[in-house]
Amino acid sequence: MSLRADLRHGLRIARAEFVRSVRGYARDRRRLLGLAVAVLFFGGNLLFSLPTAYLLGRTVRSADAIPFLGPAATALPFLLVALAALRTLERIGRPEAEELLLSTVHPRAAVIGLICAEIARLAIWFGLPIAAVVAAFALGLGSATFPLTVAVVVLPLVCWAAVWGYALGIGFLRLFRWLPALGRAAKIGGFLGMLALVLASQSIGRLVADGSFSVRGALDAVTIGPLTEYVAVAFLGTPLSRSLSPVGPGILLLFVALTPLGTAVAARSAKTLWFTDASKPERATRSKTSSGGFAAPRPFAATKPGRIAWGHLVRAVRHPQEFSHLVMIVFFLGPVGTTFVQSSGDALGALAAATGVGLATYLAGATFGLNPLGDDRPQLSLVLLSGTTPRTLVRGRVTAGVAVSAPVAALVPAAALGLGAAPELAGAFAAVGLPMCVAASLFSVGLGASYPIYEEREFWGAETVVPSTLVMVAYLFVVGGGTVIGLLATWFVASGRLTATPLVAGGLSVYVLTTAGVSYGSYRYAVRRYRRYAFD
Amino acid sequence: MPSTNTAAIEADDLRKRYGSEVALDGVSLSIPTGTVYGFLGPNGAGKTTTMRILTGLSRPSSGTVRVCGVDVADRRALARHVGYLPETPPLYEEFSAREQLEYVADLRDIAGEVADERIDRYLAEFELLDDADRRISEYSKGMKQKTAFVQSVLHDPDVLFLDEPTSGLDPRAARRIRESILAFADAGTTVFLSTHILPVVEAVADEVGVLYEGRLVAEGPPDAVTSRAATGDSGSLEDAFLAVTSGGEDVVDAEETDSGSERV
Repeated sequence: MSLRADLRHGLRIARAEFVRSVRGYARDRRRLLGLAVAVLFFGGNLLFSLPTAYLLGRTVRSADAIPFLGPAATALPFLLVALAALRTLERIGRPEAEELLLSTVHPRAAVIGLICAEIARLAIWFGLPIAAVVAAFALGLGSATFPLTVAVVVLPLVCWAAVWGYALGIGFLRLFRWLPALGRAAKIGGFLGMLALVLASQSIGRLVADGSFSVRGALDAVTIGPLTEYVAVAFLGTPLSRSLSPVGPGILLLFVALTPLGTAVAARSAKTLWFTDASKPERATRSKTSSGGFAAPRPFAATKPGRIAWGHLVRAVRHPQEFSHLVMIVFFLGPVGTTFVQSSGDALGALAAATGVGLATYLAGATFGLNPLGDDRPQLSLVLLSGTTPRTLVRGRVTAGVAVSAPVAALVPAAALGLGAAPELAGAFAAVGLPMCVAASLFSVGLGASYPIYEEREFWGAETVVPSTLVMVAYLFVVGGGTVIGLLATWFVASGRLTATPLVAGGLSVYVLTTAGVSYGSYRYAVRRYRRYAFD
Repeated sequence: MPSTNTAAIEADDLRKRYGSEVALDGVSLSIPTGTVYGFLGPNGAGKTTTMRILTGLSRPSSGTVRVCGVDVADRRALARHVGYLPETPPLYEEFSAREQLEYVADLRDIAGEVADERIDRYLAEFELLDDADRRISEYSKGMKQKTAFVQSVLHDPDVLFLDEPTSGLDPRAARRIRESILAFADAGTTVFLSTHILPVVEAVADEVGVLYEGRLVAEGPPDAVTSRAATGDSGSLEDAFLAVTSGGEDVVDAEETDSGSERV
């Protein structure tokens, strides 16, 4: 009776959570725009993947001939469990409005509801495109039953992965509560792991190309035979069907049997997490104090924007989680990493110096400039009525960005001398790096002010206001592109490869004027947004 | 007014520690059915911790709690007896008030017709009927608080826990909530009311308890607490509150109870 009630309550919670998610996706114009971009992206992929799946269905003569079927069958359960665990750690480890739910229904019902809602969300984002690909393949194969057998294989797998991934995620949350230092280490480890993965993914192509690494051999080594047998169940009744080993159906039964067990484990673990407290207070045991008042050091003390910048820097040091969005740079390090691996001699030093300047221009705007109004929102009623002009407020942010980036722009090229960079080149990069940082910082405040984000959300384990992804991508595109052009021009000039002709002078003038003009215009726009800001 | 002598809330020697920090230090309560119990204390005294323990949402380090005779660890049995309105209303902003209340009614297994009748009645009583189909994200603080109050009483609980229910509300909305508290108490519901707004407590409470640094330092009817708390001639509950939470030396006339609080 109680199980039936918990199931009923769980499904009701799942329905409500799913409806809330759908309404959240379409809550405002910004989200609708993001959704449209995602649909266009995935929809665009389908334009290629659907005909490919159809042709594959028409031409393939045995399941073994389907490329990477075995490795995919092996990877899928692990990926799904990892995804579910990650989502639990980041988003669904606790229900929203938990006082309501936990004083109304049994925790097991809440767990069932959260997991079912997650499966429904997964079905919307991934299930629909995958179903379309499967349908195209079935059409090519000429098998009407294939989508059904795929469902028979996929559904138990997804349910199993969802509940055990949830249990794993809750287990991690309990562990991190017990050992908070481990949680912090895991975040750093995750970041480094992601960095390593990006770099490795860039390097592996070269190893494959020169024949020193065999993809087929590596995949064969990690393929787990029984999981391939399990996936082979999906081909029953199709022209690709082969003699069925008992292993496949056995694994299917195992997934089915382990799902309620995983639910029980997850519910028990979640109950412990939700109703008990950390053995030590989660807040720091040492009280945080400051002495000496607010005294900005030189050179910040000399001007009001400088003192405002110092305030930004002090808060950044005390609450570095606010800058979790900066990890986005990792995805752009891959190509640089590959180039590093392939470089030697003078090229390595020059590349290191250029990378330093590129990193500096990224930090100049991305640290403080990509969501100025959103970041300042809690204090806007104070600062806008403080008598400080909007121009000073914006300059404070710009100065903070330059303060963070200028040392990187100057010191990395200097350090690159040790890697063999020519002194004149390192000096030239550092010299152009500083004005580039100023330009990037000025550009960022206008770009960020054009699309402010006010809602806090959990990002990388910290509750913070993250700049819009569109703004971050636009910033990377514009500033990254501008920096590359500027550095290439500097390299040509410093290495004497550029002859002074009217065309070159004109091109350089256009570049400098465009950079300066766009940056200044962006800065003026930010000032205007602050001046005209109104609470809606 | 208390309607019977049966204890609706029975807490015995509750202690709660966070590492070396003591949040609750031997709190015992015995609150008769139908009582409106005003639970007072300065910020950080442990009021919300107490409420979370009494509603089974947090476990004490030691001590026991029974609500309507049910051990609060038995959540399945406890849920139908209690309604809880935390300080931050637990609402889903993506829902309208009507959707929110229907959802809660569903989770509470309230029969459809009964739920519809109660929802309509409460929406009308709390002047939310015209806005019932608007999303909660568009509501004012008072409207959210009233919606959350309705959802906490929708299943007609025996014991109602309210954490700062009138905080930040305009006088009209605050009065509406106050009148409801009295109406529920008249109907036999026990109300455990935590608030900083002392006039509200004076207006509705049959009994008050004052929590200070995790200990219950004074307990009894408001008039008695006021008159015995050595507050001079003015004799308001506010004076009594300030007296008993200023270190305890002013409460010399009070009678010491077993739990260490001054029962007056």
